[in-house]
Formats: sequence, structure tokens, C-alpha cells
Amino acid sequence: MSLSEAEVRRYARQLILPAMGEAGQERLRAARVRVVGAGLTGGPAIVYLAQAGVGTLWIDDPDPVGPEDLAAWIYPPADVGRPRGAAAAEAARAASALVRADILRPGAQPTALLVCPGRQEVARAVAEEARLLGLAHVVAEADGEGGSVTVVPPGAPCYACAFRAGHGAPPQPAGAAAVGALAALELVMMLSGASQEPRGRRIDLVRGQPVARATSRLPGCACGRAQAAP
Amino acid sequence: MTRLDIRPYACPLTWVKTRIALERLRVGESLEVLLAEGEALESVPRSAAEEGHAVLSCEPAPAEGPGSWRVVLEKGQALEEGV
Repeated sequence: MSLSEAEVRRYARQLILPAMGEAGQERLRAARVRVVGAGLTGGPAIVYLAQAGVGTLWIDDPDPVGPEDLAAWIYPPADVGRPRGAAAAEAARAASALVRADILRPGAQPTALLVCPGRQEVARAVAEEARLLGLAHVVAEADGEGGSVTVVPPGAPCYACAFRAGHGAPPQPAGAAAVGALAALELVMMLSGASQEPRGRRIDLVRGQPVARATSRLPGCACGRAQAAP
Repeated sequence: MTRLDIRPYACPLTWVKTRIALERLRVGESLEVLLAEGEALESVPRSAAEEGHAVLSCEPAPAEGPGSWRVVLEKGQALEEGV
């Protein structure tokens, strides 16, 4: 279905981008993204996904908003103590009247995932879940003043193949926001079809220096065996 | 030929509207754009050419109202390729 006049006006600056266009914007509108983690990294990412025109956002984070989460952009002080998922969905709706945003409910069938859980073992488990479902996913992990973004299109080398140990430093809020925004951008480019890079890749942001590399499969990894299966 | 009147709009909607109209055409089809002299007259043909479309003609259209111009674009390959 064509974009409405309101959508054309809302996304005008994005519609100008090379390779985005109306078709890309329609693909974003059709996307249903499960966002895992709505803290310092996920918070800014949620706003960007809503602003970019992703049609449906399901926020998967039952933890309560803590005082330290107020640095995540999206929570006013009055949100402290509320479940982060519900508060973040409300923030997404406030950012754009065109987005359907809610907490993740049983039976939801996302078309892609943004994984920003704040704990590496959760990132690994959720990324593996997404891979087994054949869903595009992007994993954002804050680390000190930067962090990493792992982009996994369906069939690409998995998160575990792309993993590199970071420093494990406590996230600086601005660095976490940068990583979250970059992850949202990568997901938007992938879902809209505007990405120039169809392969999986990993971007590390270390001391202000971004380094992007195509990911490669570890020998014997299950993600390769799944690829080879008929 | 498809006709588009972008005179009511300002930048960036002038080009956004034109780009969407081009996207809906097939390669080689033409689009007649009515636009106002000034910013749109400068930017829309330039943006179209930059994205690989041909500017077939660009001339004043006084019958359409003062300050009106008619630009005919032919869709090129670039948008069709998508990515």
C-alpha cells in the first residue's frame, strides 16, 4: 500500500536518501521488531526505530526503570519503578503517532530483532533464538565509552561467530547511546533494503574510532550447518 | 504521461514527491512536473539528473499561472535497481 500524505511528510528527509524511496519506507512500515532490552543502549535505539517508520515495535524488558536508566533518553523521572517495556513503548508512541508500540506479548511474531540486553549471555541466547527462527537481527553492546554492533542478516555468520571479547567496562551513557543509535541505523538499512552491505558485519566503536568488518563463520559452527541443510 | 504538480510544496517535499512519482514509473516512462520558479526549479531537475534520470525539457508554463514551469523527466535505471 502506498504511503499516505502524512507518512510522506513525516519521513520526507529519509525518503530522499539514495535507495530508500517509497518501497523502502513501506518495508519499514511492514516490519515488526522485537527490541530486547530498553536500557542505556536500547532506549535511544527505540526512539530511532520509531522515528524511522518501523511499523510495529514490541519491547521486551520487564525490569523496572531504575534511577540510572534516566540517562537512556526516554524515561522521565516519574517512570522510575515502572516496567521498562511499558514505559519504553509509551516513549516510542510519543516519538511517533505512526508507530504501533507495546510490550512483547505471548504469540507475537516479529520479523526482526534488535538485541540490546546489557548482558552478554542474554545477547548470545537471544541472538541464537533469532538465528534459529531465520530472523534478521542486530546486537548492540555498550562497553565503556563505545561498544559493538553485530549485524546478522538471515543466513549470515551468527553472533557467536562474530563475537570478540570487549573490555567489559561499565557503559558510559553517551557511548551506549551512540552504539544503540548505530544499531538502529543498521537495522533500518537492512529492513528497508537500502543497505549496500548484504553480508553480516560487526562494527566496533573503540575510543571514538569505528571499525567495520564483514563477519566470517567459525569452522564447524552450527550456523553453517543450518545453512548447508536443504 | 503522468503529471505531477509540486507547486504547493516546499523543499524537501518538492523532490520527495517527484522521487516517489518516478519510483512508481517504469524505466523509460516520462513524468511531467509542474513546479514554481525558484528553489524547486533549481533543485528538482538537478536531483533527478543526479539520480540517473533524463531531463527531457524544462520550460516556462505561463498558461499554468505566473512563475510556473513545466519539466519533463524520463525515468532512468537508477531507482529501478533499488539497492
